[in-house]
Amino acid sequence: MASVAADAEWLFDADAGAIFDSNLTGAASGPDVRSDWAAAVGASAGQFFALSGNDGLTLAVNVRGAAYDRYQGLNLAAIGASARYRHKFGLGRDAPAASVVVNSLYADYRSSVRSGARFDVRAELEKRFTETVDVVAGVAYDRRYGPHGEAVVPGISGEVFSLAGRSAYVKVDYTIDDAWLISVNGAVRRGDVESTSQRGSAVFLASDAIAKDPAFNDPNLFAYRLPGTTWTLGATSSFAFDDRASLNIQYAHAFTDSPQNLKYRSNVVGLVYVHRY
Amino acid sequence: MMFLSRQFAALILALTSVATIAQTPAFDITATVTDQQGKPLADAVVVAVPLDGNLRLPVKPRDDTVDQVDKQFVPKVMAIAVGTSVFFPNNDNVRHQVYSFSPAKRFELPLYAGVPAQPILFDKPGIVVLGCNIHDWMVGYIYVSESPYFAKTGANGKAKLADLPPRAYAVRVWHPQSETPEEATRRSVEASSARVVDVEWALKLKPEVRVRRAPSSDRGARY
Repeated sequence: MASVAADAEWLFDADAGAIFDSNLTGAASGPDVRSDWAAAVGASAGQFFALSGNDGLTLAVNVRGAAYDRYQGLNLAAIGASARYRHKFGLGRDAPAASVVVNSLYADYRSSVRSGARFDVRAELEKRFTETVDVVAGVAYDRRYGPHGEAVVPGISGEVFSLAGRSAYVKVDYTIDDAWLISVNGAVRRGDVESTSQRGSAVFLASDAIAKDPAFNDPNLFAYRLPGTTWTLGATSSFAFDDRASLNIQYAHAFTDSPQNLKYRSNVVGLVYVHRY
Repeated sequence: MMFLSRQFAALILALTSVATIAQTPAFDITATVTDQQGKPLADAVVVAVPLDGNLRLPVKPRDDTVDQVDKQFVPKVMAIAVGTSVFFPNNDNVRHQVYSFSPAKRFELPLYAGVPAQPILFDKPGIVVLGCNIHDWMVGYIYVSESPYFAKTGANGKAKLADLPPRAYAVRVWHPQSETPEEATRRSVEASSARVVDVEWALKLKPEVRVRRAPSSDRGARY
């Protein structure tokens, strides 16, 4: 029985969900904190190429959109592309693997100061340690371009959303059974962060770019770029309806520490349905 | 004269035994396998091994096939007699790399499409677990039986071992998720005047854990 086989395998994914972010402004001070809900959708189309029995390449294009309830300036439409090369060191489900991933995206925000391209490069190692436990660890470099910020202070750039950073992360997946998967992840990122707040000496002294931020309907709020370290801890509970669809509940807590004793926290909760065609 | 009488008596005894065996017909074993909740259990392999060790395996068992369809092994569980050759046709439009690390048969079919030219000969009894190195969620099982008398349960949890020669058997059951070792399920069954002998098992199962095929939201919640 002969079969016609291609080298490529098509992948079509779509997702839809709701996200709540408790500190969209990334503000250190209580009065400047803004929270909101968003409806978010995404889709991607890609191809997986089995280069050998141990090597695979996945190429994909994707689109994303988000619409916020109170702060429509954060509404966005984005289009991007990604590439993942994966090498498996041996045969079998338990063989370790290494991946290199490149993601690129152009996001267009209703508040144009945020619009621009971004990309990140990741290197990951993954290993299945038992029948139920899978671990991924990696490092990443991210770069975001925000050319639309207008300077408000002479001599200080307005490109608040031109950001760069480096991260290290680890994710542990625990498979309870055929339907339930629990993931726990942690990351630390060092680099540029953005914080929107009212004018203040501490944030002014810590920042190297400042621009108006109209996204929050408050003329007293300004966006600041400053160096910072962000620790993130998250968990996801994923229920698979079958081999093609899942419902995911996500939670992430992030803590950012910046100079001038500026610290801020956020909690992000999401409910996302994912479907693979 | 006495010698002739002894020989004659032995001949009469032999003829009587043959006649007795000829009068005991072949019989069937009907196996019913359920899980611990009493639900019918499919894909359980029931094996009957003659206690006298007389296996009478076929000289050349018929070749068999484990297909790959929609990135799954079809059937997921297959039972064959030792000495069977199995083909692994790939009916997907993507390539697979089939392998097994099982002691009963270690093999690897490097990335391929279509049907490999040569089948794989399974020449040792035991359980062979199949995988695909490209699609980690793919799992299949081949039960290689030392006895020619075996069957696999269907969706109704039943299997029939038909036309067994009339002798005593040790009957066992195996299932990929069974917590009970196969040897511990052993029962003795003897040919009797009944044409059909019923055997039942209720197996305690462990949850099936596979590599996740369904997508999940790996990205963070922030845009």
